[in-house]
Amino acid sequence: MGMLKHVLLAAALAFSVNASAQVKLTMWSHWAAEKIKRDYVEDAIKRFEAANPGVKIEAQWYEKTALYAALKTALRAGTAPDLFYAEPDQVEYMENGLLLDLSAVNWAAIEPWAKEIWSYKGKPYGMPLEAATVELYYNKKLLTDLGIKVPANLQLDAQGLTDLAKRARAKNITPMSLGVGDRPYPGAYLVHEALLKKLGLQEYDALLKGKLSWSDARVVETLRVVRSWTDAGLLPTTFTTLKLGEAHGYFHTNPGAVTMLVGSWYTSRAFNPPDKGGQPANFPLGIMKFPAMPGAACNECRTLSVGGSYVANAATKHPKQAIAFLNSFANPEAATRWLEGVLVQTGIKADYSKVSGPHAGYFRELGATSAGAKFYFGQPIQVMQGKPKEVFTQVFNNAFPAGTISVEEAVKQMNAAYGKH
Amino acid sequence: MIRSSVDRQPWGAILAFLLPAFTVYTAFTAYPVLRTFWNSFHKVLPRSEEFVGAENYAALAQDELFWRAVRNTFTWACVSPLAEVGIGLVLAMALYARVPGMRFFRIAWFTPVLMSYVVVGIIWVWIYNYDWGAANALLRALGLGALVQAWIGDPKLALPSLIFITTWMWSGFNMVVLLAALHSLPSEVVEAAELDNCGWGAKLWYVIVPLIKPTLLNLLVLSFIGKMKIFDLVWITTKGGPLWSTETVSTYVYKRAFEWTSFDLGYPSTIAAVWFVIVLSAVLTLTWLFRTRERLEY
Amino acid sequence: MRRALLLAVLTLFTAFAAGPFLWVATMSVRTTTEISLDHYAWPEKWHWEKFPAAWFNSAYNVYFENSLLVVLGAVAVLTVVGAMAAHCFARYRFRANRLLYFVIFSAIIFPPQITIISLFQILVQYQLYNSLIGLTLVYIAVQLPLTVYILESFFARIPSDLFDAARIDGYSEWQIFWKVSLPIAAPALATTVILNTILLWNEFLYAVVLITDEAKRTLPLGIQRFMGDQLEDVGMIATGLMIAIVPVVLIYAFFSEKLIQGMTAGAVK
Repeated sequence: MGMLKHVLLAAALAFSVNASAQVKLTMWSHWAAEKIKRDYVEDAIKRFEAANPGVKIEAQWYEKTALYAALKTALRAGTAPDLFYAEPDQVEYMENGLLLDLSAVNWAAIEPWAKEIWSYKGKPYGMPLEAATVELYYNKKLLTDLGIKVPANLQLDAQGLTDLAKRARAKNITPMSLGVGDRPYPGAYLVHEALLKKLGLQEYDALLKGKLSWSDARVVETLRVVRSWTDAGLLPTTFTTLKLGEAHGYFHTNPGAVTMLVGSWYTSRAFNPPDKGGQPANFPLGIMKFPAMPGAACNECRTLSVGGSYVANAATKHPKQAIAFLNSFANPEAATRWLEGVLVQTGIKADYSKVSGPHAGYFRELGATSAGAKFYFGQPIQVMQGKPKEVFTQVFNNAFPAGTISVEEAVKQMNAAYGKH
Repeated sequence: MIRSSVDRQPWGAILAFLLPAFTVYTAFTAYPVLRTFWNSFHKVLPRSEEFVGAENYAALAQDELFWRAVRNTFTWACVSPLAEVGIGLVLAMALYARVPGMRFFRIAWFTPVLMSYVVVGIIWVWIYNYDWGAANALLRALGLGALVQAWIGDPKLALPSLIFITTWMWSGFNMVVLLAALHSLPSEVVEAAELDNCGWGAKLWYVIVPLIKPTLLNLLVLSFIGKMKIFDLVWITTKGGPLWSTETVSTYVYKRAFEWTSFDLGYPSTIAAVWFVIVLSAVLTLTWLFRTRERLEY
Repeated sequence: MRRALLLAVLTLFTAFAAGPFLWVATMSVRTTTEISLDHYAWPEKWHWEKFPAAWFNSAYNVYFENSLLVVLGAVAVLTVVGAMAAHCFARYRFRANRLLYFVIFSAIIFPPQITIISLFQILVQYQLYNSLIGLTLVYIAVQLPLTVYILESFFARIPSDLFDAARIDGYSEWQIFWKVSLPIAAPALATTVILNTILLWNEFLYAVVLITDEAKRTLPLGIQRFMGDQLEDVGMIATGLMIAIVPVVLIYAFFSEKLIQGMTAGAVK
């Protein structure tokens, strides 16, 4: 029944699009440097154009920070494109009525939590293409060289990570590749994944929304654990200036680290050809879960966030065609192509067991780390706004992992940001 | 100042001469200033503008990030001129004796000033790189490896590191200007005070400095104003981090206007307005402090 | 002995001032791989082909052209408009003279923030946002106070007999400006042209706010683009930096005497 509705809707949209003359849609997107995602989207454009003669989509590819800057000013200037890349933390777009209401899209084909993340005042505004978890990738060979064995449940405990760090440093290898030179979230992974496990879904949510004080004993204990990791030399010395792209190379090519804590969209750069920044052929890649925290409420809790999505400009002159393009993603085939091609999760409903192709093995390993997991939907910077978000970023993305402020100071700053003491 | 004494003023010509300049000035300087003040009393969103009275100003008074930025900028604007002009003066004194190849040296010393802050910023990020940057490499080569630091990664060292960069940039400029000033003095005076073994410090302070005081003051004020405005260098190197230790008012305004998750231009306009008043007051105070019998123009 | 000390100070300071520039110059002809092996080695193989590569493949020709258009356009208009105003302030006595001069001149100390947000709004309103013309107009306004200041003090020093003589010969006010003031002020004009060119060539803040279109970026923005996120390409960035620095250094090397005279005349009292 759902299938029929989907076909009819798609047909209706396709026919209405065909009825108009040559239409050109402009699209600005991130992922200029991420070939496999770019290939996927360009393929989707070709398919849409083939199914809808008379519509052309012209895509411009940017690097994320440049894209956001360009969009911010273009939206104010009224020169923004018809379609563009966005992430759900950009509530300011919805608050200012800059996005087109996407209620006409076939939401039955989309995961409800993904739709929820993109909803504002009851209406959906984004097509959640990319979803990602935070994963602990590791170099299988280096790990065995260090004499460490990954447990059957794929999860070390906190002490295990400290141990890993010490052994790696003893051999002059960086335990974990992580860098915050050009992104506001990687450093914070260490902290928020730990906090999520320690506190469990509800208390963690309360913490991020300012309802739980950061002086809570469990929070402080968790921060001390993270501090013990960084004190053991977990992070690279260039942590504060290492860029995201560089961190990838640091992990798999030069100088090589034991682990890398990164979103599961790791593949979109790592599976590029090696001379374009990808990992070497036959790189012994392994994935494990974020370490378990002592006395945790929920060690199987992890973050699942919607990442790259596409939205439509509320001021577009071709709303029907824009919605039709976004709708072209809302079906299981598109989802499977995404999974097989990009190897990252998606917000579109998909049958993960149908994934085939050369990287199917990787995908099953990725699935294993999420087996039996409970998800918290959203990264802290997607959930927080304004001052707390700015302070959280400066403190937990940069200063705290870098070791330049103490646990007490960090707690104090966060409480002050929420207006608590 | 010599002026022509004409009985009837050629008003037509005067107007014609001034009109283009004042049109541009009014449209792109005067009007924007007024509009910024107007913005500061509103919430300025893409589709609407809402009058909020003094709400933005009240919020600004409580905004620790703003006051942090003000402190950083003032620190920079007070320390830098002293360093740049001081070093420039000492070097100018040392080089008063005409040295062969002066022209080449002058070009070399001016090079930092000719480069855009963007270029300077990129080069110094490389110099300050922990692993292979020139700063740490030099320390290691001199056997002072224990002193290597993450120069712009450490909140305590970031601002001094940036101040060092501007000192590097402007010392050469100040030296060239002061050298020209020294050369314009009667030579017996300067020769008497040239660097020699006894008490040149005193000679410098009591003899030379008063003679070139107007130039020194000019350079100090120029440097002060320049540092109060600084943006490019911070933006390329640290973007105001780490932990707001290099946040200047200009980077904060830019972030609030174009990077925070809000389209409101009213609050950043408030910051700009308050800062405008602060800068003007500071410069007027300096001018009054440095007033001399001659009319001081900078 | 003192001579030796002097020479030592000279060499040290020169190394300090010009060293970084030299370092970038050597890196600009080495590849990134070579550089990561040894950051301070003298180039073995001089990869001059990196310059055309940066120029064409990385759109440097576009950025360079944009900068050229904007800067030359702005400086040309600026010089004429500024000279006209300066001449007027210097040579004519009328009641509002000092007041109007002060109004323009005081803008030198305005921090850019007081105008940048509104300029953004204004350019958007008049469809000049993200356009080279809009940026040129803003640049003219930005440098006008300094130009008027430098030229005014120079025009004022011209002996008035020249003007009286010209008037007696029947020259109109405009001809006096064009045929008497300007030629004599040639050194000062040269100074302002060079100064404005250098300052605007390197200008960043207004450009970064008012231009976002890739095809309209000026050179400083273009260099920033090179700071991409994938494997910071130190070698290529160095080449790009050289393309940006060399024109300015050349202008300076040829005109250094004039420029220093002009700049120091302004600051030296």
